[in-house]
Amino acid sequence: MDQHRPKITRRDFLKTAAAGALLGLVGRPAFSDAKEEHDLAVISGEPAGATKKALEAMGGVARFVKKGQRVVLKPNMSFANPPEWGSTTHPMVVATVAQACMEAGAQQVVVLDYPLRRAELCLERSGIREACKPLKGVHVLGLEEKKFFREIKVPQGKVLERVEVLKEVLDSQVLINLPVAKSHSATGVSLGIKGLMGLIWDRYSFHSLYNINQALADLATVIKPQLTILDATRALVSGGPGGPGEVRKPNLIIAGIDPVAVDSYGVTVVPWYGQNFKGRQVEHLLAAHQRGLGKIDIDQLKIFKG
Amino acid sequence: MRTFSQAVSFFLFSIFFIFATYKLPDWLPADVYLRLDPLLGLSAVFAGREIIGRVLWSLILIGATLVIGRFFCAYVCPMGAAIDFLDFLFFRKKGRPGPGGKAGYRNLKFFLLVIFLGAALASLSLAFLMDPLALLTRFFTFFLYPLAITLTNFLFDLLRPFFQVFGWTTLSHLHYPQPVYYMSAITLLIFGGIIALSRSAPRFWCRYLCPLGALLSLLSPTGLFKRRVSQDCNECLKCRRACPMGAVEEDPKKTRLSECIQCRTCAKVCPKGAIAFPAVASSAGGEYSTVELSRRGFLYSFTGGLALGFLSDRTPFTPLQGKHQLIRPPGALPEGDFLRTCIRCGECMKSCLTNTLQPCLWESGLSGLWTPKMEVRFAACEQNCNVCGKVCPTQAIRSLSLEEKTHAKVGTAVLRKEMCLVWAQDKLCLICDEICPYNAIVFRTVEGYRRPVVIASRCNGCGFCEQKCPIQGDSAIIVVPNGEIRLRQGSYIKEAKKLQLEFKPDPGDDKYILEESGLRVGGGKQGGENLPSEEKPRPQKPKGFL
Repeated sequence: MDQHRPKITRRDFLKTAAAGALLGLVGRPAFSDAKEEHDLAVISGEPAGATKKALEAMGGVARFVKKGQRVVLKPNMSFANPPEWGSTTHPMVVATVAQACMEAGAQQVVVLDYPLRRAELCLERSGIREACKPLKGVHVLGLEEKKFFREIKVPQGKVLERVEVLKEVLDSQVLINLPVAKSHSATGVSLGIKGLMGLIWDRYSFHSLYNINQALADLATVIKPQLTILDATRALVSGGPGGPGEVRKPNLIIAGIDPVAVDSYGVTVVPWYGQNFKGRQVEHLLAAHQRGLGKIDIDQLKIFKG
Repeated sequence: MRTFSQAVSFFLFSIFFIFATYKLPDWLPADVYLRLDPLLGLSAVFAGREIIGRVLWSLILIGATLVIGRFFCAYVCPMGAAIDFLDFLFFRKKGRPGPGGKAGYRNLKFFLLVIFLGAALASLSLAFLMDPLALLTRFFTFFLYPLAITLTNFLFDLLRPFFQVFGWTTLSHLHYPQPVYYMSAITLLIFGGIIALSRSAPRFWCRYLCPLGALLSLLSPTGLFKRRVSQDCNECLKCRRACPMGAVEEDPKKTRLSECIQCRTCAKVCPKGAIAFPAVASSAGGEYSTVELSRRGFLYSFTGGLALGFLSDRTPFTPLQGKHQLIRPPGALPEGDFLRTCIRCGECMKSCLTNTLQPCLWESGLSGLWTPKMEVRFAACEQNCNVCGKVCPTQAIRSLSLEEKTHAKVGTAVLRKEMCLVWAQDKLCLICDEICPYNAIVFRTVEGYRRPVVIASRCNGCGFCEQKCPIQGDSAIIVVPNGEIRLRQGSYIKEAKKLQLEFKPDPGDDKYILEESGLRVGGGKQGGENLPSEEKPRPQKPKGFL
């Protein structure tokens, strides 16, 4: 039995602890920053600059990405439309986050989605592949084959028992969700939580078999992004998810750890289909909130605005 | 040297073939081999009664043949290369009957040529049946290409674990969409048959059947390079036995000029080194026989061709053109011109990004065999792609800019209310509306219910609605050719404007989604009673909001 005990002497322990502390002091990692207290960072500006600021406001990307980790970025690149249509995440938002992750020491950054149209076209027309091209270690993938998915259980699922999720997501340490703000003909809005549907194989059953709003809340219990950065630089307020539709320009980047809080804030920045809504009025957000996945009332959030 | 040239040519043919896909750069003529083919060109020009720009490329091959001779078959033709290679694989050790062979049979190819050109003059495109380049491109498209994709993906699947170990992320996720086609089996059988013919004589196809070879051999007598046999000849007849074309006569000094493809096999096997192919203008030093076509045979095959053309035109298919359910690719010429000009190479179907283009069997009669149609229940036409026209060697599908192509309406969607989930069963389906790239489908309140309707003037027939309709079997919304725009020349944009059509993806008609007051949810699990109180659909709210 004895030889199975971990052999750490008191001296070893002290040495390691001291080294760790020293490293912490020297590196001054972001978590010592006061900014982390904010639930949300809501930054106004053009896509790249605002994204950078939002990352800083959330305590810097190093708070989420450690050296040598594999990072998955999940933008919305489901449609073969240019960024002006508002149906896909702005390429500069994606590229900015990808670059920050690499600078924070990520082993690799995989930008992926399971697009609705031919992947080849979506990557090209959304501009995301082009924007990420100069970044070393960043791979942009549109995956359309079942073999890239693996089934997992949904222990807290109400309607969903199992779901097949992209292996790359399951095998990576960090998932950052990069949704775009848009209307959706079945779920009202498509923000961060709805965007998770781009990571699963069988989305058809969400529409036909289940109550899609409950299924989305179920999905959010198993796929938990470490960070959600909502691209509301443009918002497709009607005609979503694919467009064409009316595109407003809130010029906002909304970042946060709490996926329900980010989405709930996102609901309020523009009127959808000509009407103002709150997070509570969005069925799938309410369902997610009721599962304890996050805060839904934005007046209770600490928000950093910039 | 010859094998090398064949290998290079076959490789180039394959490369051009592979390039014929989205996104083909504008400057790259992926269909260059087919453009060079004077038989396809002549046939399309005769049948279509119009000079086609791309066909002028074939003057290059005509000129080269006039100067050099019938070199194409031995050095360039990718079909010849395939035949030679497979012959080497399968039949090299098989004893084949000697070089005798009835000389008369050789004329078969000339008669075929005359039949095809006769048919073309009578407005029937028929050369595609046996033109080697069209045939090989079809074989590539319908058989080799799907097979190659399957094998490539299989290979990637095998290597995936290794890619992952090395951290090659993009490579480890590489997968090509699998194309599928109708008529793959027929195409394979035809190609297999051609290869099998070599069992009875080397290059059987080229000797007896190939109409392109026939056309080139008619041009070749003026060529500079001719087989010459010197006085050293000991008449061992090795050359006669070795000649893959059977071009050496019983007297080995004599050459059947029209058959000789200048492969120089005879010169290689000659023990005396008595055979040479010097570039001399005069025909001194050689004895040549040329084609002898009987006047009667020529007349018979010519009138035969004309008769075929006549027959193919005088069938109910002709008056029914445009009245059947065929959806042609955007930019296809008016049906009659299209059938006359299309050479059935299959290049458009190879290049099609979504795989919606499929070959016809009998849908429009014999004259429509292998022509491309859109199979929209299977896949729709992608609005950002215009490759099919770019690769069409005879411009039976016109090469259009994306903007023009968007206006080349191929048909109109029609909603079949008796099958539609919303109209017939009051279900909450909106997939056609959601997927339509042109907002041609909107919801209107009809007798208190929200119903999808098609705005015909916004529909260009792309087929996404028909493809994605979730009902089983036939779609509840189908694209019919009604309203298609087929222009021989001129701008589709102008034509569409004239017809007051609008294919701009415009800001939508989604205000109707708010008019849910009229919506009554049908039974089933989406019914109001079964939902928890918080999820009861409220009137006046778009779907998904509470």
